[in-house]
This record gives sequence, C-alpha cells and structure tokens, in this order.
Amino acid sequence: MKFSKRTPPVVRLLICTALLITLMGQVVLAAPAGEKVPAITILSSLPEANMVNYEMSQEAVEELRKLGVEATAQPTDFAVLLDIIYGEASDYDAYTIGWSGRIERLDPDMFIHSINHSDNALPGGNNTNRYRNPEFDALADAQRREMDINKRREIVFEAQKMLAEDVPHVTLYSRATIQTYNKDKFTDVLNLPGEGVFNEWTPFQVKPLTEDKILKVASNVNIDDMNPLSSKSVYGWRNLRLIYDKLVRLSPETQPQPWAAESWDVVADDVVDVVLRSGMTFHDGKPVTVEDVKFSYELFINEKNEYFGSFLSPIKSIEITDENTVRFNLKEPYAPFITNTLAQIPILPKHVWEGIENPTTYPNLEAIGSGPFKVEHFRTGEELAVSRFEDYFQQPLIDGYIFQIFAAPEGVLTALELGTVDMVSYDLVPAHTNLIKENAGGKYSHLELTEAPDIGFFYLGFNIDRAPFNNKAFRIAFAHIVDYDLAIDVHLDGYGARGGGGLVIVEANEFWHNPEVPVYDKYDPDRAKEILEEAGFTWDSAGNLYMPAE
Amino acid sequence: MFGYVLKRLLIMVLMIVLVSTMIFFLFRVMPGDPTAFLVDPSITPEARAQMLSRYGLDKGLWDQYLIFMKDLARLEFGSSYFYNRPVLQIIGEKLPATLILMFSAMALAYLIGVLFGAWMAWRRGSRLETGGIVFVLFFRSAPTFWVGLMAIILFSAGLGWFPAQGMRTVGTPSGSFAQMFLNWDFLHHLILPSIVAALYFMATPLLVMRNSMLEVLSEDYVEMAHAKGIKPRKVLFRHAARNALLPVVTSGALFIGSAIGGQVLIEVVFSWPGLGREIVTAVTRRDYPLAQACFIIISTTVMVMNLVADLLYAALDPRISYKALKG
Repeated sequence: MKFSKRTPPVVRLLICTALLITLMGQVVLAAPAGEKVPAITILSSLPEANMVNYEMSQEAVEELRKLGVEATAQPTDFAVLLDIIYGEASDYDAYTIGWSGRIERLDPDMFIHSINHSDNALPGGNNTNRYRNPEFDALADAQRREMDINKRREIVFEAQKMLAEDVPHVTLYSRATIQTYNKDKFTDVLNLPGEGVFNEWTPFQVKPLTEDKILKVASNVNIDDMNPLSSKSVYGWRNLRLIYDKLVRLSPETQPQPWAAESWDVVADDVVDVVLRSGMTFHDGKPVTVEDVKFSYELFINEKNEYFGSFLSPIKSIEITDENTVRFNLKEPYAPFITNTLAQIPILPKHVWEGIENPTTYPNLEAIGSGPFKVEHFRTGEELAVSRFEDYFQQPLIDGYIFQIFAAPEGVLTALELGTVDMVSYDLVPAHTNLIKENAGGKYSHLELTEAPDIGFFYLGFNIDRAPFNNKAFRIAFAHIVDYDLAIDVHLDGYGARGGGGLVIVEANEFWHNPEVPVYDKYDPDRAKEILEEAGFTWDSAGNLYMPAE
Repeated sequence: MFGYVLKRLLIMVLMIVLVSTMIFFLFRVMPGDPTAFLVDPSITPEARAQMLSRYGLDKGLWDQYLIFMKDLARLEFGSSYFYNRPVLQIIGEKLPATLILMFSAMALAYLIGVLFGAWMAWRRGSRLETGGIVFVLFFRSAPTFWVGLMAIILFSAGLGWFPAQGMRTVGTPSGSFAQMFLNWDFLHHLILPSIVAALYFMATPLLVMRNSMLEVLSEDYVEMAHAKGIKPRKVLFRHAARNALLPVVTSGALFIGSAIGGQVLIEVVFSWPGLGREIVTAVTRRDYPLAQACFIIISTTVMVMNLVADLLYAALDPRISYKALKG
C-alpha cells in the first residue's frame, strides 16, 4: 500500500495499526495449527428401514456439533448405501450398517479377517472402514493358519484387543433375536444365536405335544431356489441344509461335530482326512459314497460357486484314499476348514448331477439329497413341504415340516393367533412382540416368546482414508460420544446387547469373545473433549474444532 | 375395419418398443446393484465381478440394451436372477392365481355394479341412491389393505368363516390344474380377497352405469316404451339398461389392463401368491429380467385392452364404424 504525501501522519498511523491488528487477528485465528475438521456426513438408514440406526446417527450428529464439528445425517436407501460404500469412488465419510449373525460367522474369520484385513481395504472389498494396520494383518493371517483351536483363540483375542484400541468403527448395538412358537403343540424349542427357533437342530429337538407331528413354519421371505449350486439366500439355505446332508455340523454350543462324516483327522496343517459314515443313502435309495463327496466339492469349485467361494478357495485337491476316506489337500493351513467348509458344503448325489449339462442353472425342483428330510412339494412363493426320510441315521421327532411363505408379518401374526402356523423363522417386529407380550384378551396365550442374543452387530463405520477419521484419537473420542445404553434401553426396549469401540465378536459368541473388549464403551462427552485436547486438537473462538498440527 | 386394426397393431408394436426402452433404462438408472441383493454384501470383490459378468451386467449400457432388444424381438425374457429359472416360467406359475382373483373380483364388481347402477338411476333422488353412492365411494377411497385387514379380523379371526390367508390349506399336495384350482378349498380361500377387491373396484362400473342410465332414461324411446304400457322393470332392463351398457363395457376392458398392478395390496394382505406381489419384490431385489418382463407384459395388456375396447364399441354400437377413418 502506498500513502500519498497528503495523508496526515495520524491517519497513517491509524491505518497501519488497523492493518497490523488485522494481520495479527489472522495469526490468532490460524493459531489452531491444523486444518479445520472437515464437515462429516453420516449416511444412515432410512427410518422405516432401521429406526435405531437412524436415531443413533441423529444423536451422533448432535454430539459432533457440540464438539465443534459440522455434521449431518443423511438417511439413505440400503441399496444406495451399498453402492456407495462398495463403489469405485469410495466417496463417503461415515455410515451406519450391520453384519447379520449368520451361523458361519460364529467362526471368527469373517469378522476378524474379511472385514478388517488391509487386503480387503479396496473398492468392493469388505473392509469398508479402510482400516490398515500391518500388525493387525499379521494376527488376522495367523489365526487363519492356526489349526490348533486353543492357540487360535489366543490370537483371535489379541486381534480383538487391537481393534478395540484402534477403533476402526464404533459398534452401536446388537439386536436380540425374538421369535415365537406355539407351546401348546410343541415343546423343547431352542432359539439359537444367529439362527433362531427354526434352525438345523429343531427337527431333532422339538417334541410334538399333539397328534399333529408336522411342524408349520412361517416365513416372510421367499425361498429362492432348490439348487444348492445357485441358492443364495439365508432362507433357501435353512431348508436346503435339512434336505442335503453335510460332513460336519456345528453343535448348539457351536462346536464342530462329525455328522455325515464318522470322524476327521488333521493329518498335517494342510491335509485333512475325512472318514464317511457308512450305510447312508440318498432319498432315491442309492448309497452315499466317497465318490459323491469328492464329486460334490469339486462341482462347487468347478462351478465357481459364489456363495461358498471363500470356504472353497483354500482347497488344492481332493483324493479318495480308501473306500470310505476322502483326503482334502489345502493350499495353505486354513483354520475355518472344519467349522465352515466341512460344515457348509452339502453332499450331492453324483448319479443325478453328473449328467446335467449346466448344473448352476438346473431348477432341481425335486431336490434329492441325503439329509433328514425329503421334498414332498415346492411351490414358489407359496410353500415347501418335506417329510421325514425313514432311512436317515438319526430320526427327527417330527414327521415333516411345511415352510409357508407370507407376504407380510401381519399375516403371520393372524396365522399364529388362529393356530395355522406353529413357529416363525424370522425376528418378530417390535410391535408384534409387544402385542404377544400384552396378550390382550388371551388371544396369544398359546404362544411362547423366546429371546436369543445375536452374534451380528450394527455399527457406525468410518472412512479412515479421510480426515478426521485418519486420526486415531478422533476415533477414540467418537467412541465416547455414542450413548450405548440409550440404544438398548430406549430404542430397543431392552432387547439387545451393548456395543463399543471396535467390537466385532460379541459376548453371545462365547468361545471367541475376548472379555477384555470393548475398551471404549462409555458415553462420556467430557472425556471425548479431553482426549481431543490431549491429542492436540484445538478450538477457535467460535468453538470450531481444528485438527492437530501435522 | 381390417386396415384400421392393422394400423393400430403397428402403432402398438412401436409403443411396446418405446415402453420397453423406457423400462430398461429406468431400471438401470435406479441406484443399487443386483449382486447386493443376491448374495450377502460379504462376498469377495472377485465373486461379485464374476456374478456381474455372468448376468452380462459388466457390459456397457448400450451393449446391454442391444442384447435386451434382440431377445425381446424373439420374446426371450431371460432368467430371473433370484429364482435362477426362466422368467416366463415364473410368470406362468404366478399368473393363474392373479387372473382368477382378478376375474372373480371383476365379475362380482361388474355384476353388482351394473345392476345397482341401473337401479340407482331409476330411483334417482331416493335415500337408497345417496346411500349407495356413499357406500361405493367409501370403499373406493378407503385403503384396500386396511379394508382387507378389517375383513380378516372380522370374518377370519373373529367369526372364523373364511381362512385368513393363502390360496389353499397348508400342505395341500401338488397336482394338476384342476386339482389345484377347481375345488371347494380353493374357492373358500378365494371368497374373502375377491369380495374385498370387488368392493374397491365396484365404484367404477356402478357410477358409470348410473350416469349412462340417467342419460338414456331421458331418451324419447324410453318415454315411448312407458307410453306403450310396458312394465317399468322391463323398460329398465330390456330397453334402457342395454343401451346404457356401452361405456361400462369399455371401462371393463381398460380395467383388465390395469388390474394386475392394481391388486398388489390385496395380494400382500391375504398372502395371495400372485404376480402382483412378485413384481414388487422383483423391483426391490433389482431382479431386472423378472421386473422388466412383468412391466412389459402389463403395458402390453393395457394396450391390447385399449384396442379391444375400441373394437367392442364398434361391435356393440352400429353407429360407430372405423371405415370412415380410412378415407
């Protein structure tokens, strides 16, 4: 700036002072050494899709604003959300979603390796938090290779501890599985975590109390198809598992036990021998042989089955070593081989499938397996009826079951009231749970409500590739602004379990859960502020939060 | 006449091509990728890519469109992603249930609607007419799922007269078409949903008939019939009603075109395993082949029924002729 000669000295002085103050002011404003914490958009669920996730996101936004972070919650359709977090662009800050507690997820591999290993932190991969920690990767790889279950457990414990300290996401809550059945007609019904009351043990445990020994199960989701090579739905598999047998089953206590196999033997870390139970037949009367076992596994591998892809990829080759032994050679040691691969892949009859030109698109409506039940009829969108297979080595206590498809849960409630169905195969909606509990007019006196914890969880995920989530202290602070008790007590009416920072294996999965985690699971906004301060975060005069200096 | 029909058919083919194009692109711009609904999101990226390539979804949009149109020309709709079976087979299984429910509801609605519509015009200004109009408009404007639920609570749960859902007793073995549909059990399940659907559909034929009757009743030939001393009921049904039927017939033809989509809610409330329910789930699952085929079939039916309505008009009313249009 140039002063003209005519400018009086006093004015010059004033202008200079003003300039100086302005400059100083800028220096003071810039004093928070780092950048301003960028605005955060949380992609939450639509309220009609998941009210709890929606509410928890709104509350997180409130808390973030109190910390001086600009934040908004954007309710997003599920399909759109998946597109965003799995898409090429990876354009998101944070999101809420959940992992369902399917039975194969009792094995820790999915929740430790698949969703947290840095190999999967690419677009399309399951590590949508983009968590990358070489130390953690080493643990995730080690637990996968460790064939000794107790040693593996120690590694899994350590991995959980690391996640709890690094907080790649914040688990908000787990939902309890609340289901119901007709206690006047059936007893000894077991609600299994991850599976519910209609699980693969149900036929061997429920006792009919009346002459009606056909169990009627209600579903509100369609069975997709009867071909094990192409069925891709949880509901399809709940039925296929009872029609097609498997070598191993997970006991209700989640321990693997021989089933169609008489025994297995881990010969070396990468070689497993399986001895087939003798005297088994398929529903058409033909015997089940080791040829069928080898054929089935190879068929799944050759057809590049997607549903079981990760369980099959470790298999290098399969050979028949004697008339009732099959040897699996693995590419590398794979601990979930027994709990997942052997417990999930069904045995198909070679004589039926070898002549089929395109097995994956074969409709297979008459499904012939060697499981405890054989198909009577299947009408898409209406019902599947099966009857007890008399030659099965362990006889169910029921004569058969009918899996009935309803269009909406309201219809199921009426059917339960009228006694035309005996059991549900899905989690009751909260309104129906309350109706049954209140039992106005004694309409539901014959119904028993059962509750089981879920091994899945709902969480708020971060994009760690972006600020502020690239800062570990910020993630830990975030774990302190989530009101875990509110989620359970208010939003879930008490039917659920608490979350915490980085929690992946919840308490319900007793064997694998590390009781020392989560580390950060207290709602404490003041502590959140302290953590940020200690990590060098600062606030400007307007209360906006700034990142620490680089 | 023949030339007219030919011309209309050509236009229709053009329309189907246009509509199919729109449907194709509508589904493609809808966010969400079908693999997410088919397999848990937990599948590996490689498996997802492999799946997309199996369905041809890895190809460019334009290539996909060309394949789709080529297949359409040969009436090939492909296989459903979810059911893993040919789309036409799925539709074939579901269509009878939907058509039977639709025609039963339509028969009820039109039979009662036409008779009462005529009668109401005859008794114009009476309390019965006012009451009738309020009645049909109430069921026209009440949400059908609510009426359905109320009917279930009253007649199934309360009185136990009718089954609450499904189209046959649980566990009925599969058999021939006759064994599956032509029996008391099926009819028993059909009654409640078709009454609820008929109550909803009834307003159209009833009000159209009433208005058309009012016009006809002021015609000279009606007065003439009265003057001849013909019995009032005979005048009503023999002379007036037959002439008033024309608009009702055309509205009926158009109704058939739209009813498949229109009874979705009834199918949901009564867990009726029909096509309407299938369309809704196909869309939410992004099962493109199944959803596309359903929508193309529905829009084609609407177009065909439009043509049928026009032709019926000519057949029923000798004053209307399409020959003139040619010249």
